Amino acid sequence: MSMKFQTVERDSIFTRLDFRPKIYMMLVLTVVALIWESPVVQLSLAFLILLACFLSGVKMKFIRTILLIMVPFYVLLLFTHGFFNISQVKTLTGREELTILFSIPQNWFLIGGLNFSLEGFWYGINTIFKTLTIVLVVPLVIFTTDLDNIIVGMVRAKVPYKLAFIFSATLRFFPLLFSEIGMIIQAQRLRGLAMEKMNIIQRVSVYAKVAVPLILGAMVQSQQLEIVLQSKAFSGDPDRTYLHESILSKLDYFVLIFFTVFLIAAFVSWAVWGFGAFSGPTDSILF
Amino acid sequence: MRENIVEIENVSYSYPRSPGMVLSEISLEIKKGEFFGLIGPTGAGKTTFCCALNGIVPQFYGGRFFGKIAIAGLDTLDHPISILAKHVGQVYEDPETQLIATSVENEIAFALENLKVPREEIMRRIPRVLEAVRLDGMEKKHPAELSGGQKQRLAIAAALAAQPDLLVLDEPTSQLDPIGAQEVFSTVYKLNKELGMTILMSSHAAEEMAEYADRIGLLSYGKMLLVDTPDRVYSDIPLLLENSLRVPQVASTFYSIQKKGVPISKIPVKLEEGKQAIRELVQKNDTACTLKIDDTSNVSKKGELLIHVKDLEHVYPDGTKALHGVSLDIHTGEYVLIVGQNGAGKTTLVRHFLNLLKPTSGVLNINGVDSKKLTVSELASHIGYIAQNPDNQIFNMTVWDEVSFALKNLKFSKEEILNRTEESLNSMGLLEFKDRHPLALPKGDRARVVIAAILAMYPDTIIFDEPTTGQDYKGSQYILDISRKLHKMGKTVIVITHHLYLMPDYAERVVVMGKGSILLDAPIRQAYLDTEKLNSTFLSPPQAVLLGKEISRIKDQEFPLLTPIEVADCFSKNGGAI
Repeated sequence: MSMKFQTVERDSIFTRLDFRPKIYMMLVLTVVALIWESPVVQLSLAFLILLACFLSGVKMKFIRTILLIMVPFYVLLLFTHGFFNISQVKTLTGREELTILFSIPQNWFLIGGLNFSLEGFWYGINTIFKTLTIVLVVPLVIFTTDLDNIIVGMVRAKVPYKLAFIFSATLRFFPLLFSEIGMIIQAQRLRGLAMEKMNIIQRVSVYAKVAVPLILGAMVQSQQLEIVLQSKAFSGDPDRTYLHESILSKLDYFVLIFFTVFLIAAFVSWAVWGFGAFSGPTDSILF
Repeated sequence: MRENIVEIENVSYSYPRSPGMVLSEISLEIKKGEFFGLIGPTGAGKTTFCCALNGIVPQFYGGRFFGKIAIAGLDTLDHPISILAKHVGQVYEDPETQLIATSVENEIAFALENLKVPREEIMRRIPRVLEAVRLDGMEKKHPAELSGGQKQRLAIAAALAAQPDLLVLDEPTSQLDPIGAQEVFSTVYKLNKELGMTILMSSHAAEEMAEYADRIGLLSYGKMLLVDTPDRVYSDIPLLLENSLRVPQVASTFYSIQKKGVPISKIPVKLEEGKQAIRELVQKNDTACTLKIDDTSNVSKKGELLIHVKDLEHVYPDGTKALHGVSLDIHTGEYVLIVGQNGAGKTTLVRHFLNLLKPTSGVLNINGVDSKKLTVSELASHIGYIAQNPDNQIFNMTVWDEVSFALKNLKFSKEEILNRTEESLNSMGLLEFKDRHPLALPKGDRARVVIAAILAMYPDTIIFDEPTTGQDYKGSQYILDISRKLHKMGKTVIVITHHLYLMPDYAERVVVMGKGSILLDAPIRQAYLDTEKLNSTFLSPPQAVLLGKEISRIKDQEFPLLTPIEVADCFSKNGGAI
């Protein structure tokens, strides 16, 4: 059972950065992704983050898993915005009528007569890539930082030490929990559970049943962890010494300044010229 | 006169919801520089006792605490755990859960940072303690990259770094293979002898405790029954057996000789003393031992070919080659023991029998069918697998549901499920616990729940993977007795273990593995006597085998002896070898 925290193996600008500028970058990108509503700009930003994840060595398998988990949510978003987000999209585009892509036949039960609009579709695309940016920036920041640096970085950023430790311990236990899920399901297969013959609903119910032993196991482990911590004089007191110094380098300062300028520029250009606004200049190629 | 590091006065303790006292009226003093061994059956209160020394009991758990414990003069009730942590270093049983940092140096630094030791001083101490546990140069390694023995030594280094007055180790070797256990014991011994570190270690490893400890305390049902030298404690065999404790084989050999009426002035408890005593005993009489060993008497007749392995190779996704052209045939009705150090490929091999792993190359047939064509669930009803840790195999809310789980999957009728579950629970003596949560049972009983759940499927073959790891002597014997019962019923039994001394009464054939290959495949007597092959995979034969070899050496004649009883059978009342 490996307890190794998932960190990237490749050296890149992200692994060299201190945790604080990275957290700042995460915050700025999240704020900007929330402000912008243009599908073109959102798509470009998400693509850039994905590229950064790829270049920094975040495992593609991990990103694929995230995308797989998000797909049902994204389909729902697209349908909701395409069919039902009418008034908001009308206000944002300033149009009286929306472009209908297709309609549900009138005789269909309950949903008959609903129209799927082009503008609603693009607004849905905007929300999809908005959430994708916010989700993907997390592994980019977390997986490129050593757990110890996360703790030290958070404490230096005035986060209470106990909270920082709980945060890092949670991250550390994630791979452990996944390996336990694997072990429990393996034990079930060794007792005749034919997963390969199950449909998706049956499989989900298998995973749901795993929750109880998993939680019980996690509780036992968290108690053990607490005993270990106590016997190592851990009290959560931030007044302690640190083996690793967390000193900001020139690169760290550059990143801090860059993202401050980026935030201001993004906000001003959005407010003054509508850059990144839905149906603004950046969306002129779409509708 | 040496000062006392530990002073325990009439201590009794019970957990918040425990019905009786877990520790009862214990008084003890441990001197500076002493190596104190703590022994006792599972449930005796050893872990509670260890946790009382740094204040975790009662400060963390609560409960009722009577009496007084002082560590280096500090009362454990008056001082917070964080202060006591500076004086008591703790090493726990499980190497996985007690390492919390992401690098070796951070692991060592963690407690020091909490104790507000200046950064420069931490940097000075790290290489020093790493050298003491022979992990120098590994500062930047991730603890997950270390072997089990190295992880425990890192835990010891982390405890040492705070320069404690007392190092407490609670079953530090029970999860380790023999080489890992040896690493830990020799490290602790060196710390004790060279640096004068006071040690308190609880362990089931009787041979090692007899060898290294200055004094031994026997804890039973919370009471300290006896505190004395290893010589006295381990030579009181009736007392040890009464408390379900394992006796070092040297001691049990001489105890058996003594019971035959041969006068033994002092029962030795250490191997070298035993060899010396056996030399003296043999030299008293020139007559050669006439013991006849019938090697074929306990070997089952070969049944049909069950598992056929030919040139099996396995490479893990990370590129590690775990099996190198393994070839092996197992027939129905055999009792096969697979031994070897961690990483020898034992578990990788048997996981192929269950289709949990697929061969990278080579042939693996189960009952004449290519294993690749069978699913895990199909194989499961024929080959039952009991993994090392029972807790990872328990996932139902009641013992009954746990045992009937497989039967529901295999689509048996309600009546059949009822009958088989009841039968299986009965055979394991668990019927009275059928409505209890399996995890609420003691560890030995949890292992029996898992065995019952497997047996309910009526498998023809049962694989026990390290069934005795983490179990005390009684628990180990109970499980192995079940394996023997199943074997007598005609089932094929495969056992993986490091505990060679437990197996002569059970296994017939031994497969010795090392570095992914089969080094030796022979009847147990032949395998156990091939000390060279065993040593090459870091296993040492039981002490009785070594005593037999000593007799062979003196007599210049082969005495293929396996057990203390067999060695004792070489001697008669007239005072020497017959």
